[in-house]
Amino acid sequence: MSAIAPERTGVTGDRTEVTTGRTEVTTDRTGVTADRTEVTTQASEESQSVRLAPNYWPFVVPALVVVSAVIVFPWAFTLWMSVNRWTLGQSRSFAGMENYLRLASDPRFWESLVHTLTYTSLSVAAPMFLGTVAALIFDARFPLRGLLRGVFVMPMMATPVAVALVWTMMFHPQLGVLNYLLSLVGIPAQEWIFNANTVIPSLVAVETWQWTPLVMLIVLGGLASVPREPFESAEIDGANAWQQFRYLTLPMIAPFLMIALIIRTIDALKSFDIIYAMTQGGPGTASETINIYLYNTAFSYYDIGYGSAMAVVFFIVIVALSFILLMLRQRSQWNDAEGK
Amino acid sequence: MASVTINNVQKAFGDTRIIHDVSVDIADGEFVILVGPSGCGKSTLLRMIAGLETISGGKITIGERMVNNLRARDRNIAMVFQNYALYPHMTVADNMGFALKIKKADPADTAGRVRNAANILGLEKLLERYPRQLSGGQRQRVAMGRAIVRDPQVFLFDEPLSNLDAKLRVQMRGEIKALHQRLGTTTIYVTHDQIEAMTMADKIVVLHDGLVEQIGAPLDLYDKPANLFVAGFIGSPAMNFIAGRIEEGVFRSAGGLILPLPEGARPTDAAGRELVYGIRPEHIRATAQGMPGTVTLLEATGSEIFAKVDCAGEEIACLFRERLPLKQGAQIRIEPDRACAHLFDAKTGRRM
Repeated sequence: MSAIAPERTGVTGDRTEVTTGRTEVTTDRTGVTADRTEVTTQASEESQSVRLAPNYWPFVVPALVVVSAVIVFPWAFTLWMSVNRWTLGQSRSFAGMENYLRLASDPRFWESLVHTLTYTSLSVAAPMFLGTVAALIFDARFPLRGLLRGVFVMPMMATPVAVALVWTMMFHPQLGVLNYLLSLVGIPAQEWIFNANTVIPSLVAVETWQWTPLVMLIVLGGLASVPREPFESAEIDGANAWQQFRYLTLPMIAPFLMIALIIRTIDALKSFDIIYAMTQGGPGTASETINIYLYNTAFSYYDIGYGSAMAVVFFIVIVALSFILLMLRQRSQWNDAEGK
Repeated sequence: MASVTINNVQKAFGDTRIIHDVSVDIADGEFVILVGPSGCGKSTLLRMIAGLETISGGKITIGERMVNNLRARDRNIAMVFQNYALYPHMTVADNMGFALKIKKADPADTAGRVRNAANILGLEKLLERYPRQLSGGQRQRVAMGRAIVRDPQVFLFDEPLSNLDAKLRVQMRGEIKALHQRLGTTTIYVTHDQIEAMTMADKIVVLHDGLVEQIGAPLDLYDKPANLFVAGFIGSPAMNFIAGRIEEGVFRSAGGLILPLPEGARPTDAAGRELVYGIRPEHIRATAQGMPGTVTLLEATGSEIFAKVDCAGEEIACLFRERLPLKQGAQIRIEPDRACAHLFDAKTGRRM
């Protein structure tokens, strides 16, 4: 059973913060309850005051238990595994920082990190750009807008593995529809996911196809919430269409763009299903992201200790990225008081 | 600065005609107020001058230029909106300097003009704030500042004071008037509040159902309303209207109330026709020999007494400046000031 832990911890990494935040809220609430109890105490008799003394532990314990079991324990266990030499089926021994040192000098790990960052930045940038453009188009009024919007959103609802299978067929060098379409306009056949140079852009294309609608929906919501009056004053102030977009629309939807950016970044970093179903990290290791490498290490080679070390490092990368994004998000706020 | 000419302008949304045929001449530097009840087309007319609405017919000229097909951004006008329409994500200074910024003006010059406008409006300390951090009155000032910085040919105001509380409204009224005197820019101002119109305008245009009812100086409109609508709309409390006709040299209402004819009215003019007698509450005096009536409502504010008096079935509103020892239900004799009374044709509504 414990063999599942490393991969999961890697994925749960970004969730840790959120749930920890919740724990704090729970504690606060309990604090309020305690205050109320005190008020009641003052109004009632001395004997009751003992019974009603602030005792909020019973309220906190369930949350603590759940948080410990679901987050703290897997975390601690992953950390513990990462400092052990442990291959499934063999005996375990303490390794200290050995796994981490091995990571530092493992070219395949660094390569997978580069793949992850390339894949992530491309599959964030492309849907962000296309999604924003699509949102601007769907924000305008034109016939059949509702129907087209519905069609546009459909890729998002498909199962990633099914999407991967369909695209694998489309990417097929001999039988795929994409090369057929290219041949119609005289472009030579491409190898798509079967070539080390084009595999990541091809995978990004699939990710973009599937997740542009999500960005579109978020930004469309943002556009709907933008007040119309400032555009009239901008018109009178002499702003042309581009200037109205650049100085009014864009800054006003910035908070929504940031939300889309954060969701996209987290999703792209976590991306596993599409890559695994289409290439398993291949050809060779050309599309092996950290997630894939980690999975292969832990579940193909059963090297749990080394896999755990990878999960820990990857988690730190994710936390650092989230931190940067959250700081950016705060700067993009303009409608909340004091920018909180 | 420029004059504005509105020539037989019409506006229709589909089959609904909002503005039928409006012509107004606005001289360079004039402060003109478009006033009328809601839905009379005054805001639409202003937005047509601004270029935010298309013109269905007629011609609008600003200065020498016919602007019918000119975009709002090319008309060199500035507008203050009812809801201020500030840019919520920009500071006060950026809001005010936006028009110059997108014209790629020298930033130092822009900053100077923004500071200057801020000085005029008392916004110096708020320049780095965001609109959400300002009170309604301050936002109103920023909206005006944004217009001043532009140094436009024409200022347009679309009910700029209606979102402010009563006290602030009176103060801002004075400030806008002072600003106009200081800058001398042609100003077109829309309001539904006839007090605003009376206190600020050089010239008032009374609109009703997409038609001009009367154009004139505030006191002209008050003293010589052209028709029943203007007579009822201008002045507060509103003018009393009593239906009746001229008989034997006096005005006799349907209920038998007899009123003296207005000064200068010749009984032969309208003998036998259905008429409406108009008299403002403030032009009625309590006298010893006037018409007898019963006080049905009494509101004393200290500076004046507002009373409704039932005279032979006609309820007549009166405003007395002197302290009368009145009581509800008391008998009183009142008399209209003949010099300030009006006669209107009941059919056409026109003044006789």
